[in-house]
Amino acid sequence: MRQILVFALILPALAAAPEPSGLVKILAEELNRNFTTLQDKGEPKPYFLSYAVTEQESWSLNAVLGTITSNNKRHQRFLDVSMRLGSPKLDNYHQIRGEMPDFAAGASVALEDSPDAIKRRVWSETDRVYRLATQRLTNIKTNKEVKVADKETVADDFSVESPETASIPTAPIAFHDDEWAARLRKLSARFSKYPKLLASQVSVTAMRETKYFVSSEGTRIQHGRPFARIMILAQAKAVDGMDLNTGESFSAADPKQLPKDKDIEEAIDRVAKDLTNLLDAPLVEPFVGPAILSGRAAGVFFHEIFGHRIEGHRQKDEADGQTFTKRIGESVLPSFLSVVFDPTLHATAGEDLHGWYDFDDEGVRARKVNLVENGILKTFLMSRSPIVGFEHSNGHGRKQPGAEVVSRQSNLIVQAAQTVPEKKLKEMLLAEIKRQNKPYGYYFQDITGGFTTTGRQGFQAFKVLPLVVYKVFPDGKEVLVRGADLVGTPLSSFAKILAASDKPGIFNGYCGAESGSVPVSAISPSLLIGEMEIQKKDQSRDQPPLLPAPSAGGAN
Amino acid sequence: MNFSRREFAALLAAARALGAQNSANSEQPNDEIMQALIEELERSKSLKLSNLPSPYFIEYALDDTYSLSVSCVLGALISSNAAKSRLPRVQLRVGSNEFDNSNYVFSQLFGGRMGGGRIPLEAGPIVMRREFWLATDRAYKGALQAIARKRAALQNVTQQEKLNDFAKAEPVRYIEPKQAIQIDQAAWTARTRRISSVFSRFPDVLNSGVEFSAGFATSYLANTDGAAYRISDNLFSLRLRADGQAANGMPIHDAVVYAGRNLADLPSEEVMTKGAEEIAANVSALLKAPAAEDYSGPVLFEGIASPQLFVQLLGAQLAPIRKPVSEPGRPVPMSSSELEGRMGSRILPEWMDAVDDPTQSTYKGHALFGSYPVDAEGIKPMPLKVIEKGTLKHFLLGRTPIRGFEGSNGRARLPGPFGGSMATFSNLFVKANQTVSREELRKKLIEMVQQRSKPYGLIIRKLDLPVTASAQELRTLSQASGQRGGGPIVSLPILVYKVYPDGREELVRGLRFRGVNARSLRDIFAAADDEVIFDYIGQGGTLATLSPSGYVSTHTVCSPSILFEDLELEKRTDDWPNLPLVPPPALTSKL
Repeated sequence: MRQILVFALILPALAAAPEPSGLVKILAEELNRNFTTLQDKGEPKPYFLSYAVTEQESWSLNAVLGTITSNNKRHQRFLDVSMRLGSPKLDNYHQIRGEMPDFAAGASVALEDSPDAIKRRVWSETDRVYRLATQRLTNIKTNKEVKVADKETVADDFSVESPETASIPTAPIAFHDDEWAARLRKLSARFSKYPKLLASQVSVTAMRETKYFVSSEGTRIQHGRPFARIMILAQAKAVDGMDLNTGESFSAADPKQLPKDKDIEEAIDRVAKDLTNLLDAPLVEPFVGPAILSGRAAGVFFHEIFGHRIEGHRQKDEADGQTFTKRIGESVLPSFLSVVFDPTLHATAGEDLHGWYDFDDEGVRARKVNLVENGILKTFLMSRSPIVGFEHSNGHGRKQPGAEVVSRQSNLIVQAAQTVPEKKLKEMLLAEIKRQNKPYGYYFQDITGGFTTTGRQGFQAFKVLPLVVYKVFPDGKEVLVRGADLVGTPLSSFAKILAASDKPGIFNGYCGAESGSVPVSAISPSLLIGEMEIQKKDQSRDQPPLLPAPSAGGAN
Repeated sequence: MNFSRREFAALLAAARALGAQNSANSEQPNDEIMQALIEELERSKSLKLSNLPSPYFIEYALDDTYSLSVSCVLGALISSNAAKSRLPRVQLRVGSNEFDNSNYVFSQLFGGRMGGGRIPLEAGPIVMRREFWLATDRAYKGALQAIARKRAALQNVTQQEKLNDFAKAEPVRYIEPKQAIQIDQAAWTARTRRISSVFSRFPDVLNSGVEFSAGFATSYLANTDGAAYRISDNLFSLRLRADGQAANGMPIHDAVVYAGRNLADLPSEEVMTKGAEEIAANVSALLKAPAAEDYSGPVLFEGIASPQLFVQLLGAQLAPIRKPVSEPGRPVPMSSSELEGRMGSRILPEWMDAVDDPTQSTYKGHALFGSYPVDAEGIKPMPLKVIEKGTLKHFLLGRTPIRGFEGSNGRARLPGPFGGSMATFSNLFVKANQTVSREELRKKLIEMVQQRSKPYGLIIRKLDLPVTASAQELRTLSQASGQRGGGPIVSLPILVYKVYPDGREELVRGLRFRGVNARSLRDIFAAADDEVIFDYIGQGGTLATLSPSGYVSTHTVCSPSILFEDLELEKRTDDWPNLPLVPPPALTSKL
């Protein structure tokens, strides 16, 4: 009894100190053993070794028209080994034109902190990565000798950062699948009221993610976060064969904080009504003229068109278009706009954000980065891969398990120094339509996402895929249209941003790029753009289904 | 043709009666899955796009599954997943039995495949029918495109042989009672964990794993010919693997799979634990075994090595694959069966027969693994004496005609690559009418060695079939079968022993077969009176078409130990990876 009491008194003190968890300790022991031996016997020798384990406990349920169609629960741990041979000046991660380093494998490791099972796996993965790393380093050295180096892009391969020690517990998730199943049945059944839809679904996912990271530099960290999300999707096909989709999602840190049924039902109605209306909406014609992007749409627009081009690693990739590489200190946006990336921000305007973390995937502490101040480009999003003039990481080295880190976005925030109310912004659009003598302008209410090419061989262009778009006539009348894609080139598009509203819109989602899928957010006020180019969507020509949908009446 | 209203009404009544029966003894009031399939099937027959033809055949299938998989390493849990899923399939044909949209390289390019994930896991007939409705619509439009492209591809080609595309068949209705799903997940997890901890005692084993998998499936099928079935199609397995690396770098591998169609068919934990110890001991022994040299001479396949050899050289060859129509000048690289075109020829010695029998459920107390009441096309199978007195008498066929043969004998087991199904063997009994005892057979081997003044002969006791092979070996196999273009190669032998004239045995490593193929079977010299039973999980046909669909098939092969007078094995000359610079971590757990 006495002993237990003593323990109870000591425990809080222990918990306060960053005590490595069982897994961090096991990883650190095996890291020391491998690193020391390879430094002793290896040729070439490693100068850096890290082990990252990502633990994911996830739940997902999907419902269609009142019935559950999938119900899954998973628990996984993925191991990624990163090893650097040579020196920070030139190592096995050095960029070679058109060839990405690919060492990480996301190997499954024991779900329990069992030293034997984990160490064996870590050891064999380390051996596998060492072999690949030596081979790639040899290739790089040969490549260096035969090719003329582009002087301006000669930067080190790995930055020096101070090691971190932290042990931040991940909040537990209480996920009751019976309760959620009952809710989803009821919610998804609501789509039955909209017979013109071909497919619909309502799903909920929740995940508790814990990341463990140890490195030969002494970093020992454990941190993580919970996620929860509701997704609403609907599909239909217009008479001319065009496939149409609409959707909405809600994100929260915990399933408990997801919205109440009433709010979700309203979203379902919006998704279904938008889609039903789109089926009969007229097609767009190619157009250049003024447009408003809603806050969410503007967020996605900035993420795609701007965000991907200021990722640090692109500035040293010979194959990249490098739109902004030499624009530091220059004006890249109208002077009333600033862009911040803030992975330390957990929520804004009462809404949980997707793109936050405590440490990035190289164990570098997350921090706020002022990327564009009053229109002037100040820096890039940096991982530990330095570029000339930017020798350090700013905590944006990210990846999904099994991929290699590159610099990625977090919470993108577009800030406007001068704003107008939403209503005023619409008035300004009407004025701009008249000024330019255009028959109409556009209002982009929602965007699914988009894509952009940053490669030098491709066109430096983007395409954004809007969901809900209105044609706005000079008299203020709005008409829903379909088949519009937003296209353009990045530099010219930014120059034409005329005004911003005072209401930020939030987009939470997952971004896919070289290093896999990572959670991100984009926050922006609505923007009035003086000139936007719209092109016709590439569409399917398949006819809608030949037979009517089955009904409860049985065989007809 | 197709099925009449009256037949349909009868089917529907059968489905409903089934429900009525069930309601008496289970909580399920109705078999709404079968009813939904049949109702939607009936509706889909009226599909018609402008003046183009309606489908002449539609088939719906659905596998209602509950699966549990548990994976452990050295006593620790790596993953544990339980999931319910319902996997739908639609097959739709336009044209006629003589010429339709199947058997064309791009048969499945149009229209897309149907995925699971949107079929209700619970009561929801309308939602289920909606998925079949949309999939059928896609399949119909895809079929119309495919048949048009196929006609165009044949326009400037003179076909050497015109084969029909789809054989007519007697529809069968077969409804099994619904099974109850019962499995003790905690107990199986604990058992898997305990068995995996066996390898903690073998530090030479660098990598090991144990995977338990339980799959309960109820398969449904209904088609417009009037066939309908509901059968239980379960598969349970425990897979064990152990890997090491010899001093010269050669990877050493052994594995064993215990499998059954009923949970009760799996052996006891004691037997499986012994199996783990055995493969670990084999790896340890192989690490120390000397590397073998090239060999040509008598070889004895003893124990499961014999049925394993028959899996690859006979079973997998008995169902030739129909070559699809290809685009002119762009033939499809496909290895066909080694037995194609050899009907009526001698395949085995005159004193040997082979029977493929899916109808038998047990043999000498062993639950047979390859049995089924109806095949994947709803055809009732019959036993077939595929080889009589050494001569090839039958191929195993589904409804897809092959050169010279049309008409199913109920062997369609898997979804096929070009719009049809794929046939394969079931329970294959290879019988010898002249036998000696196992000891006698071994003596004969030694006599041959002595007569020919060979320093030693070889006994092979285990092969590394694809189901157990390492990923690396699978890559080698598929590359090899692709390169050679014809016929599979036999998997690597795992356990090979030199037998010296004085009877002494010595385990060796590092051999592979050279030039061993289906023709080699003609030269079997003698057979033992043992009947060795081997259960095998197939991954869809021959090695060249390895696992295209992700579906597996189940087989049992029963055959005697066999002696060859002359076979060749060669030394493996691959470049082996260096040994790791860092020695493996010490194993610390106390057992």
